[in-house]
Amino acid sequence: MTLLSSRKIERVVVLGANGTMGYGSAALFTRAVPRVCFLARSREKAGQGLAAAIRQVRSQSLASRATVGSYDADLDAEVQQADWVFEALAEDFALKKQIFDRVEKARRGDSIVATVSSGLSISALAEGRSESFRRNFLGLHLFNPPNVIAGCELIAGRDTHPGVVDFTEAFARARLGREVVRCADTPAFAGNRVGFKVLNEAVQLAERHGPLLVDRLIGPYTGRSLPPLATIDLVGWDVHRAIVENIYQNAPDEAHETLRLPDSMSRLCESGTLGDKSGGGFFKQQDGSRLVLDLATGEYAPESEIALPPLDFIDEVARLHSQGRYREGLAVFLAAQGEWAECARRVIAGYIAYALARVGEVCERLSDLDRIMATGFNWAPPGALVDWMGPGAALRLVENSGLEAPALLREAARDAQGARLFRESHINIGKFFVAG
Amino acid sequence: MAVSEVYVLGGYQTDFSRNWTKENKHFSALMRECVEGALERCEIAPEEVQSAHVGNFAAELYCKQGHLGAFFTEVHPSFSGLPTSRHEAACASGSIALLAAAAEIEAGRYGLQAVVGIEQMKTVSPAQGGEFLGTAAWFADEAQGVEFPFPKLFGRLGDEYDERYGLDDAHLAEISRINYENAQRNPNAQTRHWYMNAEHAKSRGDDNPVVGGRIRVSDCSQVTDGAACVFLASRDYAKKFARGAGLKLSELPRIKGWGHNTARLRFADKISESRGQRYVLPHVRSTIESAMRRAGIADVNGIDGIETHDCFTTSEYMAIDHFGITAPGESWKAVEEGWIAADGRHPINPSGGLIGAGHPVGATGVRQMLDAFLQVTGRAGDYQVEGARNFQTLNIGGSGTTSVSFVVGR
Repeated sequence: MTLLSSRKIERVVVLGANGTMGYGSAALFTRAVPRVCFLARSREKAGQGLAAAIRQVRSQSLASRATVGSYDADLDAEVQQADWVFEALAEDFALKKQIFDRVEKARRGDSIVATVSSGLSISALAEGRSESFRRNFLGLHLFNPPNVIAGCELIAGRDTHPGVVDFTEAFARARLGREVVRCADTPAFAGNRVGFKVLNEAVQLAERHGPLLVDRLIGPYTGRSLPPLATIDLVGWDVHRAIVENIYQNAPDEAHETLRLPDSMSRLCESGTLGDKSGGGFFKQQDGSRLVLDLATGEYAPESEIALPPLDFIDEVARLHSQGRYREGLAVFLAAQGEWAECARRVIAGYIAYALARVGEVCERLSDLDRIMATGFNWAPPGALVDWMGPGAALRLVENSGLEAPALLREAARDAQGARLFRESHINIGKFFVAG
Repeated sequence: MAVSEVYVLGGYQTDFSRNWTKENKHFSALMRECVEGALERCEIAPEEVQSAHVGNFAAELYCKQGHLGAFFTEVHPSFSGLPTSRHEAACASGSIALLAAAAEIEAGRYGLQAVVGIEQMKTVSPAQGGEFLGTAAWFADEAQGVEFPFPKLFGRLGDEYDERYGLDDAHLAEISRINYENAQRNPNAQTRHWYMNAEHAKSRGDDNPVVGGRIRVSDCSQVTDGAACVFLASRDYAKKFARGAGLKLSELPRIKGWGHNTARLRFADKISESRGQRYVLPHVRSTIESAMRRAGIADVNGIDGIETHDCFTTSEYMAIDHFGITAPGESWKAVEEGWIAADGRHPINPSGGLIGAGHPVGATGVRQMLDAFLQVTGRAGDYQVEGARNFQTLNIGGSGTTSVSFVVGR
C-alpha cells in the first residue's frame, strides 16, 4: 500500500469558509476531493464563501463538489462524516480553541484535523485534547490566495503521529499540487519568521526615509516580485502587526529590534489604516494616481511630488537583470557606493544572515527555507543569493553590515569546492530578479 | 557514405508559467537563462559548443527583434564567432532547428550543437497575438480580419472528423482534462496550478467560452513565454561526453528516426487533397511513419510514449489515429479506454503537452525533444513514464502544414 492510498480523503469540512483563507482553501480542496463542505456562522455566510471560491477559480464546476452549512445546524453531522477537518477561522487562539471543542466532540477518531494558522503554536492549540485528536492534529499553513501560491508549511505538534504528517505531505504535494515545507512549531513558523523580519525592517526604514524611497531601495531588483511595503499593504497591516508582535514577544533572537513594530504604524493601524483592504496603507490610489503616506503625520502626498535621491545603481542593476545578467547585476549592487546602496545592502544582508541562522531552529535544512521563500513569498531564496553573489562576497556583505555571520555562511565561504547552497533545480531563480 | 549518429546529451527549459514582460525582461534574458541552464545542467563548458541553431516563429512581431541566431553569441564571450542561424516554420520552428542541427552532425561538420527554441508571446494583447499567429496560415486568405483564426481552423479539423467519422466533443474535453492533469506533475508546466476538471472541460459558457467553431478555451493550448535548449552531438563527441559523465555510449539517447513533410498551406486545400483517403492529414501520417521507419520501429507498439502537438484538442484527436493507436476515425476509443493517460498503454503528453505545459511557439519542438530525452533517460521526475526506452514527438506548424517527428531512444 502506498502512502497516498493509506487513507481515503473523500469528504473535507472547511471551518471559517467565508474568510479569504477559508474559501481559498476550500477551493483548493475541490481539486482533489469529491465533497467539500463550506461551513461558517450562518448558511448564508458559507454561501458567500462558496460564491467567492467560484469567482476565484472561475469555474462553476466547483459547485458540484461543494455543500454549505452553518456551525449550529451542520457542524456535528458534517464533521462526523469528514475525513479531514480544515480550520480557517480568524487568527485568534481562543476562537480556534472554541471551535476545536466542538470538532473534538463530533469527529471520528481517525479523521485529520488541520489548522491554516500562520503562526500560532500547534502544540498549544492541541493541548488538553484527547490522544486521538492530538495524534491527528497538525498545521497546514497555506499562503494567500491558497489556490494560487504553491508554497505551504506543514507543522507537526508535539504529539502528531508521524504517519499523519507523512500522509498530509504526500497528499498536499500530489493531490493539491503544493510545494510542502516541513517546519518546526516555532512562532510564525519558517517563511513568515524570515519574511516579516525583512518587511518590518522596511517599515522601520520608512519611518525615517519615507515609503517611496524604501520600496525603491528594497524593490524588485533585489529579488522579489513586489516591494516590501506594497506587500504589507496587500496582506493587511493587521496581519503584519499580528505576525510581527508574535515573533517579537515569543521569539527573541539576534534580530529582536528589527522585529519591533514602529509606534507610528501601530497608531495608524488602530485608527483603521489596514492597507489595501481599508482603501490605503503606505500607498493609496486616488483618481488614477498614487499617493504616498507620511508615517509621522498620517497624511498622503502625491508620488509625483516626492523627490528621490539619485539611485543610478538601481537602474544599472535593473538593466543587467533585464538581459538576464543576474550575477553581474548583483555584483553592481554589492559594489555600489553611497548611503542608499549601503542602506539597501543592510536589509539584504539581514535577510541572508537571519535566514541562514534560522536553519535548525525553524526548519531542518536550508533548502526548506529556500523553498518557502521562493514559493510562498516569491522572493529570491537566501541560498541562491549566496550562490549568485559568491559565498565570499555574501560573507563580506553580512560582516560589513555589522551582522554576525551564521555558521552556514562561514562554512560556504570556506568551502574550496564551491558547493552550491541552493539545489532546487525545479525553481527558476531568474524570475525573482524583476528588472526595474 | 556512412552518416554519424546524432546523440542527445540533455538540455533545459525555462518555467513556462513565467511572464517575462511582467519581469521587465528583454528577449535576450530568456535566451541567456535557457542556454546557461542547459550548459549547467549538462555540465558542458561553453567553449565546447561548435554551432547553434535557434528556432523561433515571430520575434519580429512579438518583440520587434530579428536576427535571433546572433543573440546566441550574447550568452557567453566564448560564443562570439560561432556559426549560428535562425529557423522558422511557424509552430514547428523548434523541430526545424533540430533537423538542421542534426543534418550538420550527420554531415560531419560539427561535433556539438546547441539548439534553442524560443518565443516571448506575452508582449501583446491576446487579440494582437491571435493576429500574429494568423501569419502561420495563408494570412490574406485565412486570417485577415478574423478574430483568433487558429482556433477556427482547428475547429474545422474537428468538423472534418465529424463529417467523415463522427466526433463527440466529450472526447475532446477528456483530452484537455488529461493534459491539464499531466501538467500538474510537471514543475515547468504553465498550467500546473490552474483549476481544471472533467466538468469544467465539458462546460460551455462564461467560464469556458467558445473561441472558434467547436473550440472552447479549455480546448486551446496556451499563450506562453518560454525557451528550451538541447545539445545534439556526433558519435565521437558523445563518446567523450559519456566518458566524462561516467556513462556508456549506449546509455545516451540518440535520434533514431525523423520525419518531415510540408503540406499545402491553406487548410481547405489540405482537406480537399485528403478527400477519399484514410487519414484526414496524410502528410502528418507520412511524417510519423517516416520517423518510425528510420528508427526501425514497426508501429506505435514499439513507442513507449508520445509528446504530440496538441495546439488544440482536435490536433491531439487527429494525432491519435495518425500515430496508429487506433484505426482512422476511431481516436475516441483510445480516449475512452484510457490508453492515452500517463499510465495508459500509449501515454500521450505526460508533460501536459501544449495545452497543459504551454506553447511558446518556436520553443515547442525543442521542448518536446527535451521531454523525450528526459523520459528515455528516466529523468522526468513525477511525470516519468515507467521504463520508457523510445519516445516519439510530433510538432506541427500551421494548420497541419509543416510536420516534423522524431523518435528518440537508447
